[in-house]
Amino acid sequence: MSRYAVNSLLYRLKKDPQFRALFIKDPGASIGDLDLTDAERAAFVARDLRKVNELGGYLHLVISIPSLAAR
Amino acid sequence: MGKIVFAGAMSHVLDPEYYQRVCGDVGRQKTEEAIAAIAGMGERFSATKADALVVVADDHLNAFSFNCVPAMCVRIGREVQRMTQDHAEAFDAVLEHMPLKYPLHEGLANAILEQGMAAGFDLALSWEAPVDHAFLAPVNTMHGTRPIPPLVPIWVNCFVAPQPSARRCFALGQHIARVVAKSPWNVGIIATGGLSHFPELSVPRIGETDTVFDQKLIHWMERGEHEPLQELSADELHKSGGHEFLNWMVLLGAVSPARADVRYFGELRRINLAAVEWKVA
Repeated sequence: MSRYAVNSLLYRLKKDPQFRALFIKDPGASIGDLDLTDAERAAFVARDLRKVNELGGYLHLVISIPSLAAR
Repeated sequence: MGKIVFAGAMSHVLDPEYYQRVCGDVGRQKTEEAIAAIAGMGERFSATKADALVVVADDHLNAFSFNCVPAMCVRIGREVQRMTQDHAEAFDAVLEHMPLKYPLHEGLANAILEQGMAAGFDLALSWEAPVDHAFLAPVNTMHGTRPIPPLVPIWVNCFVAPQPSARRCFALGQHIARVVAKSPWNVGIIATGGLSHFPELSVPRIGETDTVFDQKLIHWMERGEHEPLQELSADELHKSGGHEFLNWMVLLGAVSPARADVRYFGELRRINLAAVEWKVA
């Protein structure tokens, strides 16, 4: 589990609308160079923030990212 | 010689629309009841004509990013901005109708910081960090249209492990009380957050609370029994969803051994809403 990589990515998705737009358009490419495990990368690419939370993503980030928030 | 003239603690998501969405009519009803209780506390605080209001709350990963997560941080400077968020979701959205800037009590904030460092409290400081709903929902609910006095925001890291211990938070409150006593100012203090919600910070457990745990905390607070509260472990707080009680521990240290009066306690499946006041005058 890459605690820092997962959570800094969540933070950037919340706070950087341009990066968020890139992610929404092509999740795999936008996070291609990040140090994530295969499971973490798959969860992000699937936009499955419940799974990201299970893998160590902080709750308050995964429930508050505009248009991507876990329900 | 200064003194603490008001002390209160309360939940900090105070949005009837939000709780209507997630809990239905009962969510709206109980949130409005909690808001009324907190507004009443605000009227009593305003009547003290305090020079400053210390607000102890947590950051929901809004003010601080992962380049630094301070255990305890004092906001210094002359004013503080509310957090802004594009296309805000959930409780970030409740900030949007609130004023953008708030005055700070520079003298008290600097005294807490500087005397803290001298006394062995290695407090972080910030000139720039904005404040989120944890600070501003209670402050605005307390004051309504009345002027808000200069604030001293203090963050406690309640979410990013490892958090400071309950005992250390209590000790910070004792430090704040000593600083106030040596100052020329009359000061109010509030702590925000809770009570139990989001156990283990896990999405599948959103919607669970731990009322037995909360009642235990209230029992001790009402009796002024603060030693067992200082023994609360990070694991207990994590499993119960009591993370934000660390903010309350700071307040308890500042007012100990005062006893708490519960102004409101309302169970919801999403969170147990609470408003509590201490007899300090």
